[in-house]
Amino acid sequence: MTSLPWLLAFAPLAYALVRIFGGYAAPRRPAAVLSRRELGFLDAAADTLFPPGGAIPLSGREAGVPAYVDRYVEAVPRRMRLLMRLLFFLVEHATVFFPAPGGIFGGGMRRFSALDQAGREAALAGWQKSGLFPRRLVFTSLRAILTMGFFASPPVLRALRLAPLAIETPVCEADLLYPRIGARPESIRFTAASLTPPSDGTPLDLDGPLHAGYAGGGGR
Amino acid sequence: MSVASAGQTGDVRVFAQYDRDFSEEADVAVVGSGPGGAVVAKELAEAGRRVVLLEEGPPFTPDDFEWEGTRSMTRTLREGGLRATRGYVMPTMQAICLGGGSLVNSAICPRSPDFTLERWCTQFQLERTTRADLDPHYESVEKFLGIAPTPDNVQGKRNLLFKRGCDALGYSSEPIPRNVRGCRGSGECFTGCRSRAKQSMDISYVPAAIRAGARVLTSVQVQEIRSEGRRATAIVGRVTAPFTGKLSHRFEVRAKVIVLAAGCMATPVLLQRSGGLANASHQVGENLQFHPGVAIQGIFPERTDPQFGATQGYQSLQFLREGFKLETLWAPPGVLAVRTPGFGLELKRHLGDLPYSATWDAIASCNHSTGTVRAVRGTLDPALAWRLDPRDVTILQRALWVLAEIFFAAGARTILPGVHGMSEEMHSLVEAEPLRSKPLRPTDVVCGGNHVFSTARMHGDPRQGVVDEDGKCHDLDNLWIADTSVFPQSPSVNPMLTCMALAHRTAGVIASRV
Repeated sequence: MTSLPWLLAFAPLAYALVRIFGGYAAPRRPAAVLSRRELGFLDAAADTLFPPGGAIPLSGREAGVPAYVDRYVEAVPRRMRLLMRLLFFLVEHATVFFPAPGGIFGGGMRRFSALDQAGREAALAGWQKSGLFPRRLVFTSLRAILTMGFFASPPVLRALRLAPLAIETPVCEADLLYPRIGARPESIRFTAASLTPPSDGTPLDLDGPLHAGYAGGGGR
Repeated sequence: MSVASAGQTGDVRVFAQYDRDFSEEADVAVVGSGPGGAVVAKELAEAGRRVVLLEEGPPFTPDDFEWEGTRSMTRTLREGGLRATRGYVMPTMQAICLGGGSLVNSAICPRSPDFTLERWCTQFQLERTTRADLDPHYESVEKFLGIAPTPDNVQGKRNLLFKRGCDALGYSSEPIPRNVRGCRGSGECFTGCRSRAKQSMDISYVPAAIRAGARVLTSVQVQEIRSEGRRATAIVGRVTAPFTGKLSHRFEVRAKVIVLAAGCMATPVLLQRSGGLANASHQVGENLQFHPGVAIQGIFPERTDPQFGATQGYQSLQFLREGFKLETLWAPPGVLAVRTPGFGLELKRHLGDLPYSATWDAIASCNHSTGTVRAVRGTLDPALAWRLDPRDVTILQRALWVLAEIFFAAGARTILPGVHGMSEEMHSLVEAEPLRSKPLRPTDVVCGGNHVFSTARMHGDPRQGVVDEDGKCHDLDNLWIADTSVFPQSPSVNPMLTCMALAHRTAGVIASRV
């Protein structure tokens, strides 16, 4: 019986821990830096910001947004990496403490990724329309990161006819001086004989072939 | 340290070549290869001086360019492109690559207007920075880089629509003068010009400097300037790996003259980290100014194919005296779409309109809004504090209204103003009226903070400025600064050409003395 007070005290803590850390599905593929919890949040956020259908058929997940964000977080400096991950944590768990519409008994007091679609939309709308600038900034930052990910998808760009075109790059004096990043000068494949006439300013043909990284297939 | 020279005359060194500590000697060491440093290096090398040009970033070849916005930003910009001010949170981008900002800017090269140079002279006790004084330097740079107005055949619809709107309203507009030869309208200025048309410093001034005998050391981070009395004696630092920033071998460069051209953020940080060098005036790192930029996206009834056309091809200088300049704008779609309102299917609807859109921006001379740059222990990344003054918000609001006018005069069916507390979509000038009449707070507008200046400002009075009119530090006999940190205030227009003109003048003075 003496353990009952402890049990009562422990129960809310256990509940909160389960709400925050438990029940995330295993990621479909290994991530570079993000945890399964972060990927779970990004899956939910990507498909709330970019649901299937509409003007661009692909959803955020189908466009590969979570995997893109994983690569992005890996590429930024450590301090920025921490800030980005704090951003994800904040949006994912804010609804545990400040319930989405529906409240405690209507399913609103769950982490973002556990809310239903209406709850997720309501939670994001709360951030977006807030009168507090820092709250709006959170939404703007999250949307910016995920939007850049959405537009990193070659199928999305092709759907809008915004994919980059193939361009024949002239060889100029600088190309005889600099190797590719990380390589040694001996790797420079150009000589003075390789120099080509500079661009003559002929406008690009919008119906021309696409940049190799964006032509067909599904992406990089 | 185990010492060896890193290079030979007329040489460029890259990260893969450093295998030990090294030291160098030169007549002139130039820190930073952006528009200021590259001009100084080329002019002094051609004047016969032994020049070493140091750059923290690597050289980028076309094979290293990434078209996708964030991949490009994480590789070419400091702090992965996520640097921002504190106080008023505003993103600001500084490049880390050979050629500095010129590799990833849109090549805009107007001269500063007469009234700005007159104000500089009057308010900052300058005598030789008038139109007549600077024009020969402007002309020299313009000639070398082939600066010319953007031709009509690569303007694309989104640029020419801007002209149409300005014409309809009687506002002046003109093709933007740019340091470009043979632009094909790919709209890729921000991620590296695959046409090799943009005359960024890495393919123009730096090769010319090398041809004249300059040694170029890339992937080297200058960490301190050593001095004795009134003389700077050497710069020291470490080799730094591209992208990761991992530090390795140490180096030292001893020179008769040191020219700091590390940019408006890094130059004051270097001086602060060097024991508060050149700071008897207490102005190092003060007076931080930006050209905050605001933008509106307009949707037209017909396709604009915005991916085609000079990145920024048209401008209006009509409102310079009111404190703002108008420009057309394109960027990688993912970066541009960041401003698009809403989420869910509404967001997708807006994104689906991108091929029918044009984005035009205003940059403002916010002379009331200033801040500071401070060194942070353990890193060369600065702490930036800055506030947007309500008086300058008035300028930005006026600019937003004028942009709305131009959009509807050009035939836009909808505009997306991106201002908090207002409709996300406006379909007529009547609906846009709140842009003119509703009082705005600084946090209601989302600004981008590019074009940075004044953190080591020029002033005729040594008590009020860091450098004199020639760019020489008041406190030292052989330390010079040649970047936008020396601007007394906003140059009213895009700063690159004025930075290069001042650097050209600085190089001439150094050549006459060393």
